[in-house]
Amino acid sequence: MCREFKAGDYSDKIDVRNFIQTNYTPYEGGSDFLCGPTERTSDLMKKVNSLLKEESEKGGVLDIDTDRVSSLLTYPAGYIDREKEIIVGLQTDAPLKRGVNPFGGIRMARQACEAYGYKLSDLVETEFSYKTTHNDAVFHVYTDEMKAVRHAGLLTGLPDAYGRGRIIGDYRRVALYGVDRLIEEKTRDKRAYSEKPMDENNIRTLEELYKQIDFLKKLKEMAALYGVDIAGPAQNAKEAIQWTYFAYLAAIKEQNGAAMSLGRVSTFFDIYIERDIADGILTEKEAQELIDDFVIKLRITRQLRTPEYNDLFGGDPTWTTESVGGMGEDGRTLVTKTSFRILNTLYNLGAAPEPNLTVLWSEKLPEPFKRFCAKVSIDTDSIQYENDDLMRPIFGDDYGIACCVSAMKIGKQMQFFGARCNLAKLLLLALNGGKDEKSGNQLAPAGKSFKGVLDYAEVRKAYHKYMEWLCRLYVNTLNVIHYMHDKYAYEKIQMALHDTEVERFLACGVAGLSVAVDSLSAIKYAKVTPIYNENGIIADFTIEGDFPKYGNDDDRVDAIAADLVKEFSDELKKTPAYRGAVHTLSVLTITSNVVYGKKTGATPDGRAAGEPFAPGANPMHNRDMSGALASLNSVAKIPYSCCRDGVSNTFSIVPSALGENDDSRVENLSDMLDGYFMQGAHHLNVNVFDRDKLVAAMEHPEQYPNITIRVSGYAVNFHKLSKAHQLEVLKRTYHARV
Amino acid sequence: MQEFEYNNGAQSSEDDCLGYIDSVYCGSGVDGTGLRCVVFFSGCNLRCPFCHNPETLYKKGEAVTVSALVRRIVRYKPYFRRGGVTLSGGEPFLQKQFLLKLVDSLHGQNINVCVETNGQIVDAEMIAACDGIICDVKNQETDDLSAYEKFFKECCRQGKSLQITNVLVPGKNDSIEKLQSLRRIVLRRDPSLKVKFLPFRKLCEEKYERLKIPFPYACCREAEDKDIEKAVRLWEDFK
Repeated sequence: MCREFKAGDYSDKIDVRNFIQTNYTPYEGGSDFLCGPTERTSDLMKKVNSLLKEESEKGGVLDIDTDRVSSLLTYPAGYIDREKEIIVGLQTDAPLKRGVNPFGGIRMARQACEAYGYKLSDLVETEFSYKTTHNDAVFHVYTDEMKAVRHAGLLTGLPDAYGRGRIIGDYRRVALYGVDRLIEEKTRDKRAYSEKPMDENNIRTLEELYKQIDFLKKLKEMAALYGVDIAGPAQNAKEAIQWTYFAYLAAIKEQNGAAMSLGRVSTFFDIYIERDIADGILTEKEAQELIDDFVIKLRITRQLRTPEYNDLFGGDPTWTTESVGGMGEDGRTLVTKTSFRILNTLYNLGAAPEPNLTVLWSEKLPEPFKRFCAKVSIDTDSIQYENDDLMRPIFGDDYGIACCVSAMKIGKQMQFFGARCNLAKLLLLALNGGKDEKSGNQLAPAGKSFKGVLDYAEVRKAYHKYMEWLCRLYVNTLNVIHYMHDKYAYEKIQMALHDTEVERFLACGVAGLSVAVDSLSAIKYAKVTPIYNENGIIADFTIEGDFPKYGNDDDRVDAIAADLVKEFSDELKKTPAYRGAVHTLSVLTITSNVVYGKKTGATPDGRAAGEPFAPGANPMHNRDMSGALASLNSVAKIPYSCCRDGVSNTFSIVPSALGENDDSRVENLSDMLDGYFMQGAHHLNVNVFDRDKLVAAMEHPEQYPNITIRVSGYAVNFHKLSKAHQLEVLKRTYHARV
Repeated sequence: MQEFEYNNGAQSSEDDCLGYIDSVYCGSGVDGTGLRCVVFFSGCNLRCPFCHNPETLYKKGEAVTVSALVRRIVRYKPYFRRGGVTLSGGEPFLQKQFLLKLVDSLHGQNINVCVETNGQIVDAEMIAACDGIICDVKNQETDDLSAYEKFFKECCRQGKSLQITNVLVPGKNDSIEKLQSLRRIVLRRDPSLKVKFLPFRKLCEEKYERLKIPFPYACCREAEDKDIEKAVRLWEDFK
């Protein structure tokens, strides 16, 4: 153990939080101390940028290694520029070259290769012809009903063809303890479990522990390929960052989960950095350089996906989410100088979508940090905010965000990612007596089709009935998926970096909330009559009169939104989840709101068939007309108590509406975050940009190469969005005072 | 600019005064300090040809009681660390009883209130009630600024925080002479006072179309950054 650190409980047992609490230095000052990029950093970034350009010119994929299957020891050491790199390690043997990971499903790997002009090697094909992948196994068990709702898009984005992701290994453990100590602890656990009766659960746990230990050994070997011995604890800042990065690297070599999030490393690193600075062996410039170099590595994280996948998510996201800031349970801020340093990478390296920098906002955060965050937001649009005051009482002060909005105690909790259900489509299903409004197929048990002017109470009753049916089916479908993922694509290195006894969440989700809510409001407050097509399916609606719309701080309709998520959450809990997982719910659609909209017919709120949904918990485009704060207040009413997996809101405002000058914009944004979160709201993406600029960027992409914008829960490069997505972003309500 | 007589036919009770507003916009960063809710009063005593809110010219908006309006605004208190409420319109000073009760009630909630006025109604009581005054000088069609002199004088007498604005319409009030006479009356009152030039914009054209009334300045050019910069430069260069 590092002799100079203050001792604590962490010395006797694995407890990174205790190490942080015992040793970190809160920082309440401003950003004046920060350093710009060194020449080395700029040179390296120049090289990375030219690789990124090449990648983009090649249609999004620079190269694929089709001969090997990605894992910890598959590839020899790879470098961007061996002389210049400080933190080393690549996913394959060359930067941006993608590895193949067929454990989740061989089909997706094969299709992805083909889409980019490659062919999966015969070797890999043959090898996997003898293997059951997660994807194979799920489809061996799926019922006809499960396949039908999946196909219709009632349940969408299910993680049944690739890694499920959304698991955060406590990568810091490798730096703090060294791999040998972690192996020792897991071996001790395994011995203890060996004493228990050999029921199915215990046998599974023992097998998992075997895999964890095996992969911890492989992790050590992987580091050795780069000439680094990570058997023992890191001794300085550079080693702490390197060790931690190796652990994360192992995870992204092993798994191709949609979201492979980093956790909460900045303040942990800060302890090592501040000690090195105090000892005179590190300067501020060098400290920033270490963080910059680490972030460069995170920025070139890649997984091999199909173009359809990229369409769905708007680009090529990895959700390398790093949670920054927050407050400690003892009232001290968890903001350190390294919280500033990591945000400073957005200046030093330029704005970029990854890593997904997530500020845990508290009213009590030091003012200079609040102002710095607001400034970085306004300058780069690359930060999202989540309410630490809301999450800390539930998750403690060492939680991290997986993907966009999913909180979990690092190393102690994990989740089974459950994608989402299309609430708007479910409403149409209820109105059509269980028939899919697109295909006319009977998806659910037959019920009455609604004719004439819709009666709110009756519609609500039918909606509830189909909700009961779908929630049961949804949880059962997820149970199948996660049973098979554990069996055929278990996250060995990530789970090795968790406690052996973990708490599990079954993270369900809803899409199209604002469409469903406004539709119900229209039925309740206006006169809505369905129009049937020749096949006896509702093709459209006539709407007479006006109705309150979600997003205007009008309780008449906002209450419907709160009721709906509560109802859905309650229904989910009625079906037991795999491995005793706790059911949670998110209101998050990422950019897939465009695709979900395409798959959904006309809705009673006046939305045309195929028109995109609003993302996440956002009010529908151009319906929140009472001002930015009214829109925020509506979203703030969605209760986090029923949506423990997060409530995402994406907020766009033109700079001139936010304030008259730079200073007032910074202050106003900071006040806005305070006001929003004080009301118990959960998440906010902040975009401060002119609509005109985006229109120009669409027409002349070459002149605006690096426009990063926040969509629900993460940032994307505007140019990586499909045309449909770009238009949708433009359509999204801009809060501007006219 | 013609004077507009308005008829006060509203029912107002002793303790809950009724007023006419067009709308409440929640979330402006450019109508005073901090984040603000802007209450647009209905009815105006002027008919400015560049008016940006023609829907507020006549007192025919939503009739609302003070208590109902305050209930609506209090929801935004968490955002008001530096901000508060801005009374705009229309001309807020046309509804004196309503304004005074509203301000009083908002102050009871510790909410800062400033008012955007055209400065034609010099009412010491209403000026005293508000925490800050934003006065827009309409010198596009006239050179008579005497009303503003009286208004500024009263604000300064009370030591009120005063922000003067002026909508810059190219070809109408961006000449050296116009700027100079504005500068004269401002500096006579208080040399530390500054004028904020707002660019004339035509984003309101759609509103005129909807209301089916002509937009008198439809043919004027919008002010651009360079026009504003030029006015500021001229202002500062005057000796």
